[in-house]
Parts: sequence; structure tokens; C-alpha cells
Amino acid sequence: MMSLPRRLATSLLGHVRSHITSATCGTSSAGKSASVLWSCRTLSLAPGVSSCPSLVASLRTSAAQLGSASYQDVQPDYEVVAETENKITADVVSQVNRSIADRSTGRLFAVVHINGKQFKVTDGDLVVVQGQWPPALGQQLRLEKVLLVGSADFTLLGRPVLDRGMAAVEATVIEKSLSHTKTIFRKKKRKNYRRINFCRMPLTTLRINSVRLEKTVDQS
Amino acid sequence: MSFKHLFMKSSFVKAPIQNGIGRYVGQLQRITVKFCKEHSDSKGVRDFIENQVVDFAKQNPGIVVYLKPRRHRAPHVKLEYLNGETEILSAKCLSERELRQWLEVARGSSGEPVARLRKMQHTDRPSIQGVWTPWTNVPPQTNLETFPSEEGYRAPQREQTATEKLRELFARQQEQKQLTEETTGTS
Repeated sequence: MMSLPRRLATSLLGHVRSHITSATCGTSSAGKSASVLWSCRTLSLAPGVSSCPSLVASLRTSAAQLGSASYQDVQPDYEVVAETENKITADVVSQVNRSIADRSTGRLFAVVHINGKQFKVTDGDLVVVQGQWPPALGQQLRLEKVLLVGSADFTLLGRPVLDRGMAAVEATVIEKSLSHTKTIFRKKKRKNYRRINFCRMPLTTLRINSVRLEKTVDQS
Repeated sequence: MSFKHLFMKSSFVKAPIQNGIGRYVGQLQRITVKFCKEHSDSKGVRDFIENQVVDFAKQNPGIVVYLKPRRHRAPHVKLEYLNGETEILSAKCLSERELRQWLEVARGSSGEPVARLRKMQHTDRPSIQGVWTPWTNVPPQTNLETFPSEEGYRAPQREQTATEKLRELFARQQEQKQLTEETTGTS
């Protein structure tokens, strides 16, 4: 049974991007509104951690997926598990914070909520908002409802949205026009009922100027 | 019923001259209002000229406004855009307010011919974390697996079910029972 975790640990330390560590920060403290997903490509566990016997338990999900250990084998010692998980979490959060602080995140994308719809956007994107929407032509907007921000290496998930001021998604209104003419035709069979209407919906085109992270995780 | 939309050109979202990346540039360049000074179908256009055209021109310094009276012809507005497109807006029997609203629509549009949009979004960078494949996020140790493999073929691990718990309990009870019987039998 012990051979498995050793293998897992080596593969964790290895070069391949793997699925294992998804650490949630702020599980114990309420009010923090971001959780972090960090791929193991950039996460390096300390050798001490990998040789720790309780890693078996902390990696129980992956062991379970392999189907190589029965449930009796994996009876986690919860205190030790929590300790190890907290350590991994802190490590991940500090690495994310460091990359935000020295602006080495690279290109970011964000999921923003605009007028009832969600869009995945990045710098230079075009987004069309359908229906009546107040912003005027040429206005610069800052989209405040950001549900998620991601870079190549990590993802920040809002619960349900990220803190105000954490992510800055800026956009410009570049077009306010009408859609093509849509035909709305209603008919009831054998009831002599036919209605035909035509409508053109208002469309607003946005140019996404920038997606940035302005605060580190858990910074108030 | 109209089938016009079925044969309509479709297009994707686009913006002319990278509009909005540095700053916003208005796409409507010039309007020519053609109207008659006498006919009643130009009434709304004449009212617009009397009451609003100066304000309109002041509010939109990027748009040149020409007025062209012509006798006993239906009123029109010619709209010219930065991308070279021109559009003729018939202003026949339009009220002052309606005309103003149509000019507002023209001011906001890019001059591209109206088409059905296939997507409401456009991006040059569709993926930042990499495109998902069936092998994304699969544990890498599967690479080292040799086949046939007992472990690889085993069903995914799960919690003990209630039935299994009951069975185990029952088996233990049976054992206990047997033991007690044996002990009583021997004594």
C-alpha cells in the first residue's frame, strides 16, 4: 500500500501537469471570496511534505481514482490531513500572490457577468450585449461582476463573484446599433389565428481593453 | 410571411480599424439631409432642421452635416461612414422625433451592412490554459502502467455502501454466534 503514495509523490514532483492538487484557501475563515486552483506544473512540494506518511490521506482522492487502495486502507488521520492540506494551501496561495505582485501572471482571462449573461473575455475581445443597455457610445466601463479570473498557471474562482477591486476588467462601448430584422410569427392551427411581428433588437458592442488583477488573494 | 432573414448574409462580430483599442472613433462621417421646403412629407425633416440640427452638429463634432433643399421630392438622409459605405435613409413622413432616433442609430453603427450575427463574441485568443483533451488532468502515472494491469482495470474506488455495511455486520454477528455456540458446546 505504501508503494502507491511514493509513486504519487514522485509524479507530483515530476514535470507533468497533473490534476491532483486543488487547494481551497479560506476554508476555515468565512468572508474570503476567492479560491485557488493551481496546477502541479508550477507547484513544487517540499521533500519533507512528500515523505510525510499523511500525504496518503491528503491524496486520497487520487488514490481512490486509481482504485488501488481499498477504503479500509485509507482511513485518514484528520488532524494530520488538515495540517498537510493547510500547508499545501498556504504554499499555493503564496505562489499565486507572488506572481500577482510581480506581474508575472501573463495574459489573463475573466468570466464576467454583463446584463444577465456571462462571457469569457480576455484583452482585445469583442462582446455583443443584446437588448436595452444604458451605457452610451464611447464610454469606458469597468465591469464589476467578475466570476472568475484565470491565467495559464492558476485560476481564481469567486464565490460567487470576486471581491470588488480585486480584478479590473475594462471595456469601451464601440457600437450601439440594431440587429437584423427578426420575424416573429405565431400561428394556431385550425383557429384562424396568425400574427406576424418584426423586431430589431438593440445591440451594444464592447471592446475589452484590459483584464488585470489588482489585489492579491485574501488581501483586504 | 417574410423569409428575408433566411437568405440574409451572416457574419461574425467585427470592429473596423481596431476601434476601441486606443480610443473610440465615431464611424459616421457625413450626413446629407435632402428635403423639400413645401411638401408636407418633409414636415418632420423641416422641424428637425429648425429645432435640432444645430444642437446635433454641436454635439457631434466628428459628423459633417449638409442640408440640401430640392423642390417636390421625397426627403432622404444620406449617411456616409468611415469605411466608405453609404446608406440612404428615407425620411418620408417621419416625425422630428423619429428622424432624431434614426440618426442616433446611424451614429452608433459601424457602417457595416446589416447581417445576422453568428456569434455574440469574438476573440483572437480562444484558450489561455490550453485546449482540453481527454488526457488533460489525467494522473501521469498512467503513462508508466504495464498491461494487463489489475489495478488499472479495477472499478473506481468508492465508500462502503449501506448494503455492504449490513452484510459485514451480519457476518460478524454470525461469527460471534458460532463462537458462543462452540464455547457453550465444549463446556
